[in-house]
Amino acid sequence: MPQVEIDTPAPDFELQDLDGRTVRLSDFHGRKHVLVVFNRGLS
Amino acid sequence: MAQLRRDYQKFVEREAEVVVVGPEDKENFVKYWEKEELPFVGLHDPKHKVLKLFGQQVKIFKLGRMPAQVLVDKQGVARYVHYGHSMMDIPKNEEMLALLDHLNRDS
Repeated sequence: MPQVEIDTPAPDFELQDLDGRTVRLSDFHGRKHVLVVFNRGLS
Repeated sequence: MAQLRRDYQKFVEREAEVVVVGPEDKENFVKYWEKEELPFVGLHDPKHKVLKLFGQQVKIFKLGRMPAQVLVDKQGVARYVHYGHSMMDIPKNEEMLALLDHLNRDS
């Protein structure tokens, strides 16, 4: 399975947020850094 | 997630947003989100398309999906990538915050 490599562009994606708005990773480009978190429990 | 919530303001101060991708269906994800009062951007990914795109490891015979974290800078470049090997294998926030400081200094 491909994985994201450091110092290379992260693949863009598009998903809906919990209010039903479409959010793209590229929406943040030029504005904010983004910490993308998958599958963290409550710790 | 509690650690991230505790330090969320520190991420905001460093011009970073925390985006949590959850594989759950929307109803369960919303319940979880409201119960925990999470301040992040929550995205539900019922078809696991981003999980697949980012190559999140799945260990079918162990605990299911493993945690993963990717820090993407303002230019869209991945600056930190971590694929956990267990549910406890999560990078410390301090590490992320230090990296953000570094990115902000360079920009």
